Amino acid sequence: MSDVFAEAPAQAAKPTIFFDGTSSRRRQVTLTFADALEILEEGGTPVRWSYADIRRADSPPGILRLACTTAPPLARLEIRDAVLAADVTVRCTDLDEHRTSRRGVAKIVGWSVAATVSIVCVVLFGVPLAADRLAPLVPKPIERRIGDASEVQVKTIFGRSVCEDPAGKAAFTKLVNRLRDAAGLDDDSMTAGVLPTAVPNAFALPGGKVYVLRGLLDKAQNPDELAGILAHELGHLKHYDNMRGLIYNGGTSFLIGLLFGDVTGSSAVIFASRTVVEASYSREAETAADTFAIEIMHKLGRSPKPAFELMYRITGKEGGSTLTSILASHPLTEDRLARMTREDRPVSGPPLLTDKEWQSLKGICGSGKI
Amino acid sequence: MNDMQWTPIGSEPLPPPLPPTRVDFSGDRSEFRKMVTKGAMLELVTFGFYRFWLVTDIRRHLWANTAIDGDAAEYTGRAKELLVGFLFALAILVPIYLAYFLIGIEFERWQGFASTPLFIGFYAFGQFAIFRARRYRLTRTVWRGVRFWMDGSGWAYSFRAMAWGLLVFLTLGLALPWREAALERYKMQHTHYGDLRGDFEGNGWTFFKRGWWLWLLSPIALVIFPLAPFFYAEFKAREWRWWLDGIRIGGVSLSSDLPHDAFYGLYWKVIGWWTLLSMVFSAYLGGSALLVVQLSGVPADQVFGSDNAARSIPMVVMMVAGYLALALAINIVMRVYLQRDLWAKVLETVKVHDIGAASDVQGRGVLASALGEGFADGLDVAGF
Repeated sequence: MSDVFAEAPAQAAKPTIFFDGTSSRRRQVTLTFADALEILEEGGTPVRWSYADIRRADSPPGILRLACTTAPPLARLEIRDAVLAADVTVRCTDLDEHRTSRRGVAKIVGWSVAATVSIVCVVLFGVPLAADRLAPLVPKPIERRIGDASEVQVKTIFGRSVCEDPAGKAAFTKLVNRLRDAAGLDDDSMTAGVLPTAVPNAFALPGGKVYVLRGLLDKAQNPDELAGILAHELGHLKHYDNMRGLIYNGGTSFLIGLLFGDVTGSSAVIFASRTVVEASYSREAETAADTFAIEIMHKLGRSPKPAFELMYRITGKEGGSTLTSILASHPLTEDRLARMTREDRPVSGPPLLTDKEWQSLKGICGSGKI
Repeated sequence: MNDMQWTPIGSEPLPPPLPPTRVDFSGDRSEFRKMVTKGAMLELVTFGFYRFWLVTDIRRHLWANTAIDGDAAEYTGRAKELLVGFLFALAILVPIYLAYFLIGIEFERWQGFASTPLFIGFYAFGQFAIFRARRYRLTRTVWRGVRFWMDGSGWAYSFRAMAWGLLVFLTLGLALPWREAALERYKMQHTHYGDLRGDFEGNGWTFFKRGWWLWLLSPIALVIFPLAPFFYAEFKAREWRWWLDGIRIGGVSLSSDLPHDAFYGLYWKVIGWWTLLSMVFSAYLGGSALLVVQLSGVPADQVFGSDNAARSIPMVVMMVAGYLALALAINIVMRVYLQRDLWAKVLETVKVHDIGAASDVQGRGVLASALGEGFADGLDVAGF
């Protein structure tokens, strides 16, 4: 810089600077208004910029910085003198032609609203439809593979080995088979087992795996209570709820992530909206599984009500605030129990297990408390 | 240091070294605030798509108002490039995401939770994205009609970041200064301004000496919570100063006398705003609940009750609206204090030495695509 200043004669307080776009040399220039803007450096060749090609570039306040569409892309002319800047601005008609205008912003808003509406529609209508149609079409081997994977996980959490007491196992198999026949599940590979953990729960995994956790078995007071819960889980298998859920959850989290610009879906908004959308979907699936359980129990001539009394004993009254009921993945237990009470019918069929079988089933994990 | 000193008289008289030049920031604060406020509103209306335009506007404002040796920089990147980069990144990330899912299932079949290490793959990809995003930003940075540019490989950088990251993990964070020094050296040695090549002369040991006691004291901040912002501010100020002191481009070097307590005010202002906004939000929730009860005549337990979803809808709508307004306000506060004010605060301490070395640099380098920015956006990683 020093040498440029050394050669330049004393200038006006606000010089005009030109960068030719190929070198960072700061060239002090004078401007001439001819049929094009002439930029002249002392001792250099003049540069001509046609007025129509001149565009405004970003600059700090007090400086007019110009670029030219036909010059090297980074060539810049910096005018610091306000009067001169005004003179140039008057001559350059297309100075701000390339800027985002109000219309440009409106276009961005319009298109993003359109994109959002279509994504929301797909989440609300498209993905559930796709999940319903695709889930039954998923080949059994794939379903079983996913099931195997989740089984390994479940066993890591709830204990490695299935309860194996022979008499208990025989009783459990008898109960499961009766329910399976009534449910019309033709899946030969269906397996069921009791896992030794104090958590009171039961679940169905893809590929026809039903697990009852020992905590639930301990709290059950008669075979009907357990049978109703098992029938509910069989309902999930019958309706392919696992695969539907998988497709649905994957689809919605991907689409909502897309909407908020985060593919893997980690930020709070995504998490929140996913939870709400998915919980409502899963509540529908749970209600459908309840319906299925009612049908099975009626078919066997037993009442579905005891199972939900057992559930109520475990969860207690759940309803509280709006938020919990919007976020809940299952219908509230008291609502389900009320529904079962309406569906209650006098017992007409034989008991599902004899007293002796029931006692051995209760002892399937051995006598020790966990 | 050669600033403000005459070289000792030797056999040949040397020309006196030029005094260091300053970096000036001329950005108007209220203009910036208006820009991010409008941007945040548009982001809300467009469900986030406006972020590409807002980020570009913020960078244009900060760059154009930063003058080194009297000449302001310029940011030539445009929002459409970011949008296209994001869409390209999506096209590449989606199959990867799917493959990740399928491989995860196979791993889980073999051993429960065995797929957790696959997350590390995403982390590595994030580091790659950080490098490539930096390349995009740098090739859009122009000063005196010559652009900055970068070579080097994103994957080589990612590998270094991972290896050093492991070391930091194993040493419980003690190796962090050396990691930062090594990564910064890689980034700066592949940074160019025209035909000048960058370098980074900061070393881990210097940084360690400036901040080791913060590492020792950090457990205290977990117990006495109000100390944490002080510690973080100390750490950030020391990190910035060390980083600036190490930067070299050709013969040009930077130095900074950023005081160690420079960021106290900034962080506490952000925390103050955060607290204030949260209080306003809670008051709003309480007020709107009261209003809904009063206007609809529905008893309070039914507004929050589950048995009638239709009756609780007004309350949910009020809650969502309030939450969005809160997010918006916090967004503005963060951008004003942690981007604009921090930028200005750091720049006013920077001195540039031997700027004459950059007085006649030949332009080089080609524009990099915005794909890296797209990846960084898609993976939610940020880097500098």
